[in-house]
Amino acid sequence: MSSLKEPYLELSDHPVRFEAVNQVTNVFFDDSNKQVFAVRSGGTMGVVVKGPTEDTPPINFRMEDRGPVISIKFSLDQSILAVQRTTTSVEFFIFNGNTIEGEFSQACKKNTAILGFVWIQNNEVALITDHGIELYIIIPEKKTVKHSKTTSIVIQWFVWCPKNKIAVLASSHGSQLQPAIFKPGTISKLSKVETEPGRMTLERDVTLATLYGTPAVLILRHQSGPQTAEVHVHTLNGPGQAPVKSHILRLGLSGRFAINVVDDLILVHHQASRSSQVFDIALQSESDGTVNYHKSVAPAKSLKPTSLPLPGLVEPQTHICDLYSPNWVVFQPNIVIDAKLGCLWHIKLSLTTLCAQIPDLSVCTQLALKRTNGKEVLLQLLLDHILLPKPLLYKLQESFNHINSVYRLWAEAQILMQTASPVSAPPPSKPSAPPRVLISQSDMYHYILQKLMINDDHLQNLEWALISYMTSLSEYCIPVEFSLNELLIKILVQRNKFTALVQLLQYGIVADSKPLACLLLSLGNLHPSASQLAMDMLVRLGAIEEIQEVLIDQGQLLSAFKLSQDCVSPRKFLQAAEKLGDPTLFHSMLYCFRTNHQYDKAFLKDERLHSFLQHYRMLFPEKTLSDKTT
Amino acid sequence: MTANKSDIELKNFFIFNSSYDSKEGEEYNKVLYYYPPTDDINTQVNNVGLVEAIIKFTGNFKPDGPLNSLHTLKKRQLYFEPEDHYWMVMTLNLPFMNKSRNGSTYLEYVEEEVHDSIYKAVLKQAYSMYRLFSGTYSSTDQQNNVAALRSKLDHFYSAYLKTLKLSNCDILNVFSGIHFLPLDKQNFLNVQCFINALECNYPIIKNVSFLFNDSLIWSGIEPDDTQVIYQYLISTLLPANIETELQGGSIPRNPSSPFSSLHYGRFITGPSNLKTADSVGKVPKIYLNNEKDAAVYYFIVYRALNASICLFINGDVTLTVELFKELDEFMGPKLSSIASDIAEYCTRHIIPPNTSDSSPRFIYFNKLNLAYKSTVHLDHRQTGNIACNKEAVQIIADMNSKKDLLGYAGETIVKTMNDYWVVGKVSNLREFYVVLQHKNASLIDISDEVKKICDSELKGIFFHPM
Repeated sequence: MSSLKEPYLELSDHPVRFEAVNQVTNVFFDDSNKQVFAVRSGGTMGVVVKGPTEDTPPINFRMEDRGPVISIKFSLDQSILAVQRTTTSVEFFIFNGNTIEGEFSQACKKNTAILGFVWIQNNEVALITDHGIELYIIIPEKKTVKHSKTTSIVIQWFVWCPKNKIAVLASSHGSQLQPAIFKPGTISKLSKVETEPGRMTLERDVTLATLYGTPAVLILRHQSGPQTAEVHVHTLNGPGQAPVKSHILRLGLSGRFAINVVDDLILVHHQASRSSQVFDIALQSESDGTVNYHKSVAPAKSLKPTSLPLPGLVEPQTHICDLYSPNWVVFQPNIVIDAKLGCLWHIKLSLTTLCAQIPDLSVCTQLALKRTNGKEVLLQLLLDHILLPKPLLYKLQESFNHINSVYRLWAEAQILMQTASPVSAPPPSKPSAPPRVLISQSDMYHYILQKLMINDDHLQNLEWALISYMTSLSEYCIPVEFSLNELLIKILVQRNKFTALVQLLQYGIVADSKPLACLLLSLGNLHPSASQLAMDMLVRLGAIEEIQEVLIDQGQLLSAFKLSQDCVSPRKFLQAAEKLGDPTLFHSMLYCFRTNHQYDKAFLKDERLHSFLQHYRMLFPEKTLSDKTT
Repeated sequence: MTANKSDIELKNFFIFNSSYDSKEGEEYNKVLYYYPPTDDINTQVNNVGLVEAIIKFTGNFKPDGPLNSLHTLKKRQLYFEPEDHYWMVMTLNLPFMNKSRNGSTYLEYVEEEVHDSIYKAVLKQAYSMYRLFSGTYSSTDQQNNVAALRSKLDHFYSAYLKTLKLSNCDILNVFSGIHFLPLDKQNFLNVQCFINALECNYPIIKNVSFLFNDSLIWSGIEPDDTQVIYQYLISTLLPANIETELQGGSIPRNPSSPFSSLHYGRFITGPSNLKTADSVGKVPKIYLNNEKDAAVYYFIVYRALNASICLFINGDVTLTVELFKELDEFMGPKLSSIASDIAEYCTRHIIPPNTSDSSPRFIYFNKLNLAYKSTVHLDHRQTGNIACNKEAVQIIADMNSKKDLLGYAGETIVKTMNDYWVVGKVSNLREFYVVLQHKNASLIDISDEVKKICDSELKGIFFHPM
């Protein structure tokens, strides 16, 4: 299969292009706004800001060159530009969309050095120094900066997560990692990240990410000797958002790595082998009770080769991009920048290709269920598997179990929301987000089962798949919808498997319903058991009227009448009795109605019944004669 | 009822073909099988000749209807023509009692204890069983020759007749029903999935049947074949096997690792010990679907704990030891776990029938799926182990033979001299018989009692009157 060799990771087709780094141009990246700043000659020759995508119109402005820029960032609403040129102060400019004006600046406390600064909100900035964090409110109208809070802590370097507004502050050469969460006007320190005592960590080995909605600190741990590197995942979901070391990714390689996150999958790029591995912490894995050990879900693959169009002298040329180049810098969540080439890519994942390389269907299903665009991929995957000459039914059932466990949880949440609760009860917790991939019975029916029904050659596989699916539904106590029950009966009838059908009905696999009973009645001429089972089903449904109809149809008039004697139509019975041509039966029926007070009246009212009296006289002329004589 | 009543006995049993040319003096050519072998050839020829004469004679009066039986003072003769011109005849000695009147003793033959319908069913079963293993009489005759047919018949029936327990035959022979295990949806679906996986993995397996103890859970083959195979399994194959199990001890074969999933499976037909087997050995072949389009299948039975699974494998493939090993590996752990799940369900949900003598007993039979249920019988193996008066069971057989008179739905109530009440109900092709013992009960009491039993036992089915 060619798909086995295909790369499942690729770079975006339209990278953000910017002026490459050279003698006069410096390039900066702001990971809060995902913007690339190309600063020519310290700003005098202009600053070009691009991003987060190539479609975003670039921003151009000029600024005075007052020395080399260390860091440059717009506020979150792009109204204030902050530039750091020294380790002691940050300059601020009001930006009106075209030009910068109204400069003011803020120095950090004495005897401290700025390690960096981050925008907390539109008008709040944090200066992170080697002695702590200083929070400032910018008041653009007055062009002033107001100090709001300082937290003292020794910091050697820090890593910032703009999404969760969390910083990991490192001291003692990275052996102490202190996460801190920034809220307007406050900074709260969380519990330290647990590391082996004295184990040092480099800044480049720490990545902050969000995995399945939970902030996480990912630390790359290089091992000495023959052991290979690992990524330790500390999720901030302990009490008070304390970091908990919950997952370890086994890389099986050593050397230089870089980490990205795409759709909650962790990508680990390895430079030496020019390949990337994919990890999903939600997958079941080997566990020692507290930590889960993960292996790459699929074989490591290189990124898909990409190229850039270059204007040529005669005709456009293409430049093949060097993948895993030493010039690459990765940013969270999925950004790769080649500063020498002047390119910013977003990494994309082709789920179909990835799934094709995972041999285990059940693992594949679990993976696809957690992906934002997983539904179509998963449905196709299941369809393809069912159509194999020898589908692995137990694997298929495992897959269905994963699907239905999601389906069941969602259905329960729906019911909970719709149930009225007493006023005194606490208000229901906020509605949980719908699952990323929800495959309902009707999805299964429309996208998989119905498609198989068209081709006679697929019926056997369809039957297997349907039984597996129904077993899984039953395991999760989800009632089977009518369409599936009907489909099962149709398949078995089409395959001439009446014996199987009878047994399935006998054990109540197919839920009772009136439409199904009618379907079975219509099959009665093909197989006598079908009508017997139909009648049983009607009894369980308490459908007395329908049973009566069937009995009349079968000519069992007396049985039908005994079943219910209220509100029957004498005409229906007498008509049937007349048609059967049994004079005794006709006599009994008529006698029955005439002696019953309730129905005798009808003979006076309803003229249509008179014909039956005539018919009676015709059948029994001597009886009528004797009536007259008496 | 006197205690010294003799048992019903088999006088003779023979099969002949009336179409074989017979010259004067060569009539014995018609005889295909004759029991007892101690009867000399003259007696054999005479008996066959007499039956032929009776067939011809009665045919004058009733050319279309089948000839069923001949009643005489001391004997009962039953006839069955399973295939054109092939006749099976069974003669029974009626049970008799020594009675004395006026000082002289005489024998009284008890004719009413021998029901035609029951023994006709026994005869039919004898045919079906032969056909299951050897195909029809005529096909053997055509494919080989009469001598081959004779030797096959001799080989089969000499053994088969020994297993017949004529005095234990009763209404269940007439039904020759199947006991289905009442099971919940989930366990049943698990069985289904297991069978599907088996059939999907091994396409040479054409059909599968699944039993738990003596009860059927699933059968992929047609009901008439299932009926015969079920009888064979529960009356012959499985009891014999359980005996060897008891002798050998059914200790798990793989106790080496406590962490490997439990595996108790082994083949009942096919190689019994896979570790030492170097050849497949003799695997029985059976003939299915004889009515329409007969086909030969290997009949492999595999058992784990109380669950037995029958595999019907295409008769024209070559079976290898590897296949058996593979099947064993595939089925063993799964079947063991399914079997223990079912066993757990049974202990929790199936209440053993009340064993007190006076409690009401019933027999249920559904003609359409051949399902039967009986609290009259204490097992499914026809060992004569019954929980109520034998007379009552005979009344049921009488009711059954007259059920056509009731039409679509109806009821018969009989009270015996010893305060037994037998109620027979027929509706929607189902039969339901209740045996009650009540002193001084009125018809209304009995009717109410029966209604109560119906409400609990026939819940969820259409059984008239409701």
